[in-house]
Amino acid sequence: MKMEEKVIEIKNISKVYKIENFKVNALNGINLNVTKGEYVAIMGPSGSGKSTLMNIIGCLDTPTKGAYTLDSQDISKLNDNRLAEIRNKKVGFVFQTFNLLSRYSAIDNIELPLIYSKGRLPKPRREMIMDVIISVGLKGREKHRPSQMSGGERQRVAIARALINSPSIILADEPTGNLDSRTGEEIMAIFEDLNLRGSTILLVTHELDIARHTDRILYLSDGIITGEEKIKEPISAKDTLKNMPTLEDRISKLEENKNYEKDI
Amino acid sequence: MKRIFENLKVAFKSLNSNKLRAFLTMLGIIIGVGSVVAVISIGAGAEALITQNLQSMGTNVITISPGRAEPRGEGGPMRHLEDANTETIDEGELHLEDAIALQAKATLLNEVAPVLYGRNSTISYMSWSGQVSVTGTTQDFLTVQGYKMAEGNFINESDVSNLSNVAVIGNTVAEDYFGKINPVGEIIKINGKNFVISGLLQTVGTAGFGSNPDNSIYIPITTAQNKLYGTDTVDSIIAKLKNENQLDESTAEVKSILRIQHRIMPGENNDFSVSSPTQFLETASSVLQILSITLGGIAAISLLVGGIGIMNIMFVSVTERTREIGIRKSLGAKNRDILMQFLTESIILSLLGGLLGIGFAYLISWLVKTFSSLSPLITATPIILALSFSTAIGLIFGIFPAMRAARLSPIDSLRYE
Repeated sequence: MKMEEKVIEIKNISKVYKIENFKVNALNGINLNVTKGEYVAIMGPSGSGKSTLMNIIGCLDTPTKGAYTLDSQDISKLNDNRLAEIRNKKVGFVFQTFNLLSRYSAIDNIELPLIYSKGRLPKPRREMIMDVIISVGLKGREKHRPSQMSGGERQRVAIARALINSPSIILADEPTGNLDSRTGEEIMAIFEDLNLRGSTILLVTHELDIARHTDRILYLSDGIITGEEKIKEPISAKDTLKNMPTLEDRISKLEENKNYEKDI
Repeated sequence: MKRIFENLKVAFKSLNSNKLRAFLTMLGIIIGVGSVVAVISIGAGAEALITQNLQSMGTNVITISPGRAEPRGEGGPMRHLEDANTETIDEGELHLEDAIALQAKATLLNEVAPVLYGRNSTISYMSWSGQVSVTGTTQDFLTVQGYKMAEGNFINESDVSNLSNVAVIGNTVAEDYFGKINPVGEIIKINGKNFVISGLLQTVGTAGFGSNPDNSIYIPITTAQNKLYGTDTVDSIIAKLKNENQLDESTAEVKSILRIQHRIMPGENNDFSVSSPTQFLETASSVLQILSITLGGIAAISLLVGGIGIMNIMFVSVTERTREIGIRKSLGAKNRDILMQFLTESIILSLLGGLLGIGFAYLISWLVKTFSSLSPLITATPIILALSFSTAIGLIFGIFPAMRAARLSPIDSLRYE
């Protein structure tokens, strides 16, 4: 077996929260490795420690114990400012609720991580933004504000924003949770495409159908990983979309049936 | 530099999205800065006006007034302030002899002129009549006051010694009663008695206090005392200094001469007072300055209140935008970035308020200029002061909300609904 480059290396991390005088063990010794270009889903019921794990992987939080290495950099002991830099450069967040700034246009939202980037940008800002807008299929909608866009379009803006700094990992937390199944599938198709082009993607979900799009599913329960499943044949979102009738198709089919009934 | 620009962009965007709130928040600063600058400018304008008026009276002239008389005429307000400033003065009178003694004995004085201000004098010429201020004085009055003749001659020495019925009229009186006719040689009645007009004064312009010299008639003091008003006192004595830098020495000399003249024993109080426009200028300036500082201080309180208003709104804004802060932090904003974002916003609020406040001050002083004789002087000092003060207020009152925003945990704020 060839040596694959590890992007995420988590060794025996645990997280303890203190709520008043009680100690809550959110994570109890998690071990997890993700290699470059992998597409991994994390599943688990609420309260299983999913969010805590996501926060630690996304560098929003640090573990109480254990070691976390992201892109061969030890994250466990970094201060707030260094964590912010890592989030900016190496992590791309996609949230269930999109988390776009409502007063900002798509372009301005996508630009946000660049504002907080240190150093020179590889390309002019404008070009970088247009590149990601095209890659998520939003061309022509870039001047719109979130309130003028559909849920699917908003999530595309969020994905574009996550991609702008070419992060080491994309962290998607229930990205299809607020979308209808067709739009959700479209978003999954974007992730699929990104993964094919080499992006490492971590997907948190509680829908098995969504999780089965990935290469590997990790099951989390009570702060430990209780199981792991390799998916031999992941669902292809593109294929699903082909077979999924659009709303317009359905309506026209219904009308046809009605006409047929009348004729009889 | 790039960061500052980004912060400005973000701040303007968020202020722009809530214009009414931004304006109402700024209102406190606008009113505060506006009133501070306006009060200081009006004070400066008043000071300039008084200085100008007093300088037109001559800085080398001193006025001697009897003790504790009701203030009247040009010496009035000056005397009051002087009394309050220096010494206790007993009641007393001044007479023509005092002026003669001063003229004879004082080595530091040039001309000395006793003055008697007319009481309710009715003048008439042909069928016109009216009230005009009549001043009894001597030939030296013209030199002491620095007035100039337009036509004819001023009262002369023999007019005074002969109790002549001659009058010199001011420009306004001439215009009112004679129009374009040369009044010299004409005869007018003052309180029913005939006077020959011997001369016409050039326009003096208002001296600010007491009677308007252009609307006055000057007659020999002896005539005024004996024929018109029946008194042997004079209202004041004015004298011109030989050297205006010897004000204190001259004043001391006048006092010693008059003490002898009035037979005042050592240890007893003077029954007269000596004052000069220079002294009054200093007193008036310091009074006005105290007034300006007091009023400006009261106005500054509204600046403080405005600052608290900014702090209040910034706290509301931080709470409202908790989620935005979470989003920005998740995208790599550091605590410092969030701090600067909110601080920039509050400084822009207060600085913009300060600029509008200066506009407000210009509006107030324009109104004052239009509807009163005072023209406020807006100088750079209060503007710079007000602007830096309001910026400081934005900084001071913005720092706490900004710090709260910066300290928010990204996880909690992302979850905030």
